[in-house]
Amino acid sequence: MTKPPVLIIEDDPVSAETIAEVAQGLGCHTQIEDTYDTGLAAATGGVFELIIVDRMLPGGDGIDAIAKLRGAGSNALVLVVSALGRAANKIEGLERGADDYLAKPFDADELRARVQALLRRARMQTSDNDLLVFGDLEIRLKARTVHYQLTHIKVTPKEFDLLTFFARNAGESVTRMQLLSEVWNLHFDPGTNVVDVHISRLRRKLEADTGVTYIHTARGEGYVFSPVAPEAA
Amino acid sequence: MPTRAAKSASLRLTVLIAGVMVLVSLGGLWFQYGQVARAFDARQVEALQADLDGYSALYDQRRIPALRQAMEFRAHAQVGYDRVFLLLDKQHAFLGGNIPDWPKGVDTSATEFTADPVQWFEYTLPNGESGRFMGVARSLPGGFPILVATSLAQKQALMADMRATIALAGGIMVALSILAGWLVSRLVITRIDRVNRVVDQVAGGTLGARIPGARSDDEFGRLETHVHDMLDRIETLQNATARLSDNIAHELRTPLNRIRQGLDRVQGQDAVVAGLKGELNDTVRVFEALLDIASAEAATGDLPGLAPVNLSELCEQLFELYEPLGEERDLQVGADIAPNLWVVGDRALISQMVANLLDNAMKFTGAGDSVTLTLDHAGGRHRMRVTDTGPGVPVELKERLFEHFSRGEPARGVTGHGLGLALVRAIAARHGAKLHILPQDKGFAVECLWPKVDPM
Repeated sequence: MTKPPVLIIEDDPVSAETIAEVAQGLGCHTQIEDTYDTGLAAATGGVFELIIVDRMLPGGDGIDAIAKLRGAGSNALVLVVSALGRAANKIEGLERGADDYLAKPFDADELRARVQALLRRARMQTSDNDLLVFGDLEIRLKARTVHYQLTHIKVTPKEFDLLTFFARNAGESVTRMQLLSEVWNLHFDPGTNVVDVHISRLRRKLEADTGVTYIHTARGEGYVFSPVAPEAA
Repeated sequence: MPTRAAKSASLRLTVLIAGVMVLVSLGGLWFQYGQVARAFDARQVEALQADLDGYSALYDQRRIPALRQAMEFRAHAQVGYDRVFLLLDKQHAFLGGNIPDWPKGVDTSATEFTADPVQWFEYTLPNGESGRFMGVARSLPGGFPILVATSLAQKQALMADMRATIALAGGIMVALSILAGWLVSRLVITRIDRVNRVVDQVAGGTLGARIPGARSDDEFGRLETHVHDMLDRIETLQNATARLSDNIAHELRTPLNRIRQGLDRVQGQDAVVAGLKGELNDTVRVFEALLDIASAEAATGDLPGLAPVNLSELCEQLFELYEPLGEERDLQVGADIAPNLWVVGDRALISQMVANLLDNAMKFTGAGDSVTLTLDHAGGRHRMRVTDTGPGVPVELKERLFEHFSRGEPARGVTGHGLGLALVRAIAARHGAKLHILPQDKGFAVECLWPKVDPM
């Protein structure tokens, strides 16, 4: 597989460097631009799988670039990484076409999880597989059912959404904030780890019905869905 | 429109002024009318006196026969009953005159041939017409009653004419006043309404609304200019506030981000790094909450940015999010949510508010306590309540509970920045919802009354 090309439009050198390191760590080829105009020119001129853009750039707001980018025919995924990090800013960003939104200051693990999820989505865009299979575990998306071998595992609608999101990002670390925004559509940090409780319930339920631990606590702030322990993977 | 016109100050003022003018004019006309009536009376008295002088001269010459002769002659010569005269003998039998009998109720009160005292009386003439008369009656020496009177018909006709003219003039004046009042108030209302409409729009949240068209060079134009200057200033301030909070965010988060990335590069001091990361997160949460509070307060009353939100659904979702946490902590969590209740709001803000309330309730209660979320409809509003049976809040703190950084005593040991309820209050105010702390024997209960909208 070729190295996915990633464009980073960020005027703060420290952030740009961190983002580039994370992307390179995920096997991407990176290009960094530090103003709105050069960034937009690069984005419309080249082919990128993912564009990571800041908002308060010299010359403009990265959000404004998204519409121009789409107008120019690009279908690169866009991750906004911005100091405008309140729930209202995030919602505005997502409504105006961003595929994901991460507030500064960010955790490198969080960024890695987001980039990973987006790259995976970019590759999965063409397949609309109804069935997700992990060994004996089968998730049917249209019927919204989960089976282990021949046993039907009863899950609540929210647990199903949670499991699906995990399964789509199998083998990769997902974070609490990611789950809150993707599964619950909430864009603020509740402070209390409400998400952890849901995950441990789902984990226990899966363990009880299958005897396999599917959800593992990842290094840092997240979880990994994997039929085998991630250390061994 | 009728109720609005009735409530219009300019209409009331015009009606008042017009009313006073009409009354003054009518008063003038009425005074004129009185003058004319008095002048006419005076002229009739003079005419009567002239008649009396004539009779007096005749009487002085040849007494009764002369009077009788003159009356007979006049009765034949005179057409109509402009003057009436009558002379009777001692037995009150007809001697001369143009009427056959003595009018009822007329006394022979005069002693001379002078028009004093005069008497007024009604009399039916031989031609069948009845009318009002003014005259003098006297008993001549030897017991001969004589009556000389003049008809008031002419005066009555004139006065009636005048009254009709005055009534017509009054009517026209009243009609013109009403018309003028209506026109003036229409003019004023239209001008004032232009300003009112724009101010309403601004109060409704459209800060950019302005009065269309050119300013006229009068007090209305100046009022419009002043309103515009004021609105421009408010808009500038509001934009400056928004820019400031964006700038604060940018200027603080960018260096915080560098610190954060720097921490990732520190090797071998995991515990210290984890602690610093936690502090960093708390710092971001505090100023984020402060900015959220500030922007919710600044946007209070703004309609743009709000959309219909299914409050029932939202409450259910958040309850579902928090329910396992409560169970984990051995709380009895429950919800009673009436379906399909809608509000106009900002979904993200309302979510945050409900989450904050549930979070607080679960944070400050212990095993065995209960936490309940209810939503129903009461008194024209949607009533949302979050109730717990925890330690509650001391009375002296209840007043300050929604202020920034205030926390209850038992809360000191619990993590949090004391901005949760301040944010809840700001979000409630943003949506025009009323927030109360309910009096509670045990525990803590918050009630939020939302303005309702019809289901979508």
